[in-house]
Amino acid sequence: MIFLAKAALGLGATMAVAGAYVFHDGVIRVDFDENRPGGSHVHFWVPATAVASLRLAPRHCLEDAAMKARPFLPLLREISKELEKYPNGEFVEAQDLSGRVRVAMVNGKLEIDAVGDDQVVHVRVPAETIRNVADRLEDAAPGI
Amino acid sequence: MNQSPRGLLGFVSATALVACSLLPTLAVAQSSSNPDQWIHVRVENREDKTETVRVNVPVDMAVKVLPEIKNKNLCDGKVRIDSGRIDGIDLHTMLDALRTAKDGEYVTVESKDDSVRVAKSSGYLYIHVTEKKPSEKTAKATGDKDSAKNAALKESKVEVKIPMKVVDALLSAGKDQLDVVAALRALSANGDMELVRVKDDDSTVRVWIDSKNVAN
Repeated sequence: MIFLAKAALGLGATMAVAGAYVFHDGVIRVDFDENRPGGSHVHFWVPATAVASLRLAPRHCLEDAAMKARPFLPLLREISKELEKYPNGEFVEAQDLSGRVRVAMVNGKLEIDAVGDDQVVHVRVPAETIRNVADRLEDAAPGI
Repeated sequence: MNQSPRGLLGFVSATALVACSLLPTLAVAQSSSNPDQWIHVRVENREDKTETVRVNVPVDMAVKVLPEIKNKNLCDGKVRIDSGRIDGIDLHTMLDALRTAKDGEYVTVESKDDSVRVAKSSGYLYIHVTEKKPSEKTAKATGDKDSAKNAALKESKVEVKIPMKVVDALLSAGKDQLDVVAALRALSANGDMELVRVKDDDSTVRVWIDSKNVAN
């Protein structure tokens, strides 16, 4: 009985630590809706750690992506570094009768909202994740 | 805004280019920009307030990000001008002449429909353009040209105010180049101010710099 209790305690503690690690970078949220019959509706939440580390991506895919993104990586790295300095701020807001676009930082997350007559897109990405992705891609494409 | 004649739009574009290029001369003296300064651009439809564009960019961010953009005409934070000439005008020489000239009113054009004023005073360059034109809506509503001519005139105003330090900074990159990053630094060091205001029948455009991160 005591053995079972110890095992349960160990398992619980491990899960708690693993959960804390997985979610310590926050969550990436993507919502995409097409407001028409038969339209797509995509909604998912991903722990930012899973994306930031890019551990799940096959190495050759990562290298290919890094080579293609190579000219833009210094820009991406600089933007992500700068974004972290402005945890709350609205950068772009445009609206007319047919829709609205907004790009802002809210509590350290980059928020991109595009709302049109027939499509809605919401993206939430922690700024730190963008920097981590830029760093990982740079590692995969040395010489930048 | 879409009612503005091409001449006015061309002038606004030219002044915007000048404003952008004016940002860089005192770069050596001002190695860093004020981290709290934001550049704001606001475009609003005067009739229908639901049509708006608001852009807010931290100056510090722009100063650090611009040099990373490698483009044909924008590289290392400097805008390349083809032989320093735009439509036969040597922009660099013109700005340099303006920079070294004494305070005064350089251009004054007054006509029945338009007025243009370019002046330099107390370290600032001022460009004011006012254009009067018959309201197209009135003309369309009445349907005849005579009525349009007699209709109430609508004013379009463009007001640009740029610190000469920014002009200096803009020219600091040498011939054929305008140092936008240096100009931004100079602009930031100059403190809160309104740079551009355009007001016409349809819309208003405002460009200013301050320490707020929202365009209110």
